[in-house]
Amino acid sequence: MEPGDSTKQARAAAQLRKGVLEYCVLALMRDRPRYGVELLHALEESGALATSQGTVYPLLSRLRRENLVTTTWQESASGPPRRYYALTASGRAALDEFSHVWPGFRDAVDTFLTVPHPCAGDPT
Amino acid sequence: MKTPTDPTRDYLAAVEREASALPAERRQELLADLAEHIEVTRAERPDATPGEILAELGDPRTIAATALAEAGEGGAPAGAFGSAGAPVRRGRVHPLVPLLMLTVPYLVTTFLWDVPGLALCSGLIRIAGGVLLCTSVHWTAVRKIVGVVLTVVAPTVAGIVWRETTVAPAGDAPALVANLVALAVVAGTSAWLWSSRRS
Repeated sequence: MEPGDSTKQARAAAQLRKGVLEYCVLALMRDRPRYGVELLHALEESGALATSQGTVYPLLSRLRRENLVTTTWQESASGPPRRYYALTASGRAALDEFSHVWPGFRDAVDTFLTVPHPCAGDPT
Repeated sequence: MKTPTDPTRDYLAAVEREASALPAERRQELLADLAEHIEVTRAERPDATPGEILAELGDPRTIAATALAEAGEGGAPAGAFGSAGAPVRRGRVHPLVPLLMLTVPYLVTTFLWDVPGLALCSGLIRIAGGVLLCTSVHWTAVRKIVGVVLTVVAPTVAGIVWRETTVAPAGDAPALVANLVALAVVAGTSAWLWSSRRS
């Protein structure tokens, strides 16, 4: 049953990641523009948010289409020019909104996960 | 010893193949992003082999599936996915279906006119055939109107006039001739519709 369990864990992690990944990507651009490979490295270092690298590009493409980020090409001292992603005003607004929602969300989940459950009273 | 196969090119070709359901513009953008990623990574990590870089990028199928999922959300109605739902399925029946539904019941009732209940069934099938013809994507509006008039309306009106008024000559022979004429009109119209259909 061990392999099944780890598959289930991976699936649960993937589900969670799906919801928060785009906000983490937006957060990475909060202070300065970043290019794709740079964003992927940061996600990888985080551990839990590491994902198959190639799947981040469709996400970036959507953020671009939704006008949450803009891109500019910049020459690099080494290698080809990089496409830098930067937050737009609406991208920043979306990130702020998520930042407000997230602590309450995280605390609520923690409340459910930690024992004893406040509403677990079972009427005899 | 360089092999003629280029793993990077094969990889991008695999992504392109797996993402064939994506709108062309979106697909090209994805391929450009991946190609750029490979180039930048190669420049930053000269020691990494192409195989390693591609393995880190992940399975082309997974990437294509993610791209398709992303294309489906985020309110992009202009893309192919905005219209890939129910509206496209409507009217996608084979063009032969409405034509057969309009013609065959008419043929059957012409020769089996005394079977009880058959006329009603035939009428219902022909009406359904008319509806399918009108909702089909295979004809222009003008052709649909002409088709419905000639295959449904005209024969039905002629039949009613024939039975309910006295303008028609009495007897079975004229009735059979009239039915054959009507059948010829229906079959001819169906043949014309078939030959003028759009793929």
